[in-house]
Amino acid sequence: MDRTQRPRSVLDSLGEELIGILTPVSICMFTVVLLVCLLNSDPSSSASFSSIATAAYSETDSDSPWDKLLGAFLNSLVFVAAITVATFLLVLLFYLRCVRFLKLYMGFSAFVVLANLGGEISVLLIDRFRLPVDSVTFSILLFNFSVVGVLAVFMSRFSILITQGYLVVIGVLVAYFFTMLPEWTTWVLLVALALYDLAAVLLPVGPLRLLVEMAISRDEDIPALVYEARPVIRDDSRLVQRRVWRDRRSSQNDDDLENNEVVNVVVRAEEEEQRSEISVPLIERSRPESSETFLEGIGLGSSGAIKLGLGDFIFYSVLVGRAAMYDLMTVYACYLAIIAGLGVTLMLLSVYQKALPALPVSIMLGVVFYFLARLFLEVFVVQCSSNLVMF
Amino acid sequence: MEASRSDESNLSPNRDRRSNPNPVHNSIISSAQVWPTIDGPLGLTEEASVDYARRFYKFGFALLPWLWAVNCFYFWPVLRHSRAFPQIRNYVVRSAIGFSVFTALLSAWALTFSIGGEELFGPVWDKLVMYNVADRLGLAGLA
Repeated sequence: MDRTQRPRSVLDSLGEELIGILTPVSICMFTVVLLVCLLNSDPSSSASFSSIATAAYSETDSDSPWDKLLGAFLNSLVFVAAITVATFLLVLLFYLRCVRFLKLYMGFSAFVVLANLGGEISVLLIDRFRLPVDSVTFSILLFNFSVVGVLAVFMSRFSILITQGYLVVIGVLVAYFFTMLPEWTTWVLLVALALYDLAAVLLPVGPLRLLVEMAISRDEDIPALVYEARPVIRDDSRLVQRRVWRDRRSSQNDDDLENNEVVNVVVRAEEEEQRSEISVPLIERSRPESSETFLEGIGLGSSGAIKLGLGDFIFYSVLVGRAAMYDLMTVYACYLAIIAGLGVTLMLLSVYQKALPALPVSIMLGVVFYFLARLFLEVFVVQCSSNLVMF
Repeated sequence: MEASRSDESNLSPNRDRRSNPNPVHNSIISSAQVWPTIDGPLGLTEEASVDYARRFYKFGFALLPWLWAVNCFYFWPVLRHSRAFPQIRNYVVRSAIGFSVFTALLSAWALTFSIGGEELFGPVWDKLVMYNVADRLGLAGLA
């Protein structure tokens, strides 16, 4: 190794950390796009997907655009309201120190997501490809997968790679189901969630900010599903002198993000060897049983690694998945926009040194670029290709 | 792997949990010998690993061969260096054996089922195959 010969520059370690967070986000988005393309359900089947996000209005093909827009606004309002309520409930529970209950709930939610949604997607895939898998093998494999997944996100000391893998899988599963919402609802919902996220993290009365401040003041971890990149160990002591927000050993910030709620919390903790990846229960109204809370937000973990809430993964993937339902060109545009937004957010993180919402910048850029690509880019590219000017 | 870098970090100096007081100073080998888990210095210490390995091994008997496989993956340095960590190695080797046996049995059954098909099983095949079971139970209700 030439480490002793050439000291690592800032660029090396910075790049490694960025890659550490960009890779799982990209894998999540890629998998959701793959699932969307493989299980290409026709638009009429989306009516069967009912969740709290379609409680106010179910989109049908025969409505006028204005009706659809209005319905989408109502749906988003209901969804964001539900998420707000759920997050305040979480804040209340955390305030009353029911941490054990929250952790158990999170484990239970993770199990339901992995078993239920994972099982459904596997069945859809088996159905689509007519794989001759028998039910005994299938149930054993699904059982194994879910139980180990629950252990991975529930236990604090587990293989980093496997925990990261399972968190990405949970993100993929939930995101795929969210892409089955009606189209107008999805877009309005994404914008509404980005605005909500901004408010919840930055306003002094925002629930996420309260949660983070309580966690800091108590020096506890918020039980939540948060993806933490593998900490980059540097030769110098720069890692220890990172700006931290809490001057303690155990600083794990896990946020619970409800499925309906996008919580962006940036958590930073000082360096220590503990990783904090606690799963948060997910709240999912689409299935009557489980509720889970996803956490969204970006921050620095206890060992100085970057932490990104699972809700961010989910909603980025929902955006890209919905773009995939139109065409792959919009997928490329949205992917680049989201990555650029994530980069901007990381830069802001290093400047401001506090919890930041990871959704707003990326979602706004993604939505803008989706509509630009769909309305303007496509016409241009198609004309060029059909006249053999480009591609 | 982080293990080779951990030597120079500030994390390991006070840790003297070496199962093998080996005076070899090669950074890769000595750091791999120190840490029983695949995460290196970010993973468990040796005492905690024994507990984990034992628990994973015992839980794997609840029809969880994947847990055995995870056990072997997590404690991969234990398998690689056959002299170190005798207690952990005991459980990890047994997990590996359990995983192989279970996988052999399960894949034998699955392959027989998928390759044999209807000719071998008769009408029972249609009752057992997953897509029919899903249709019957209404599991694939989304698409």
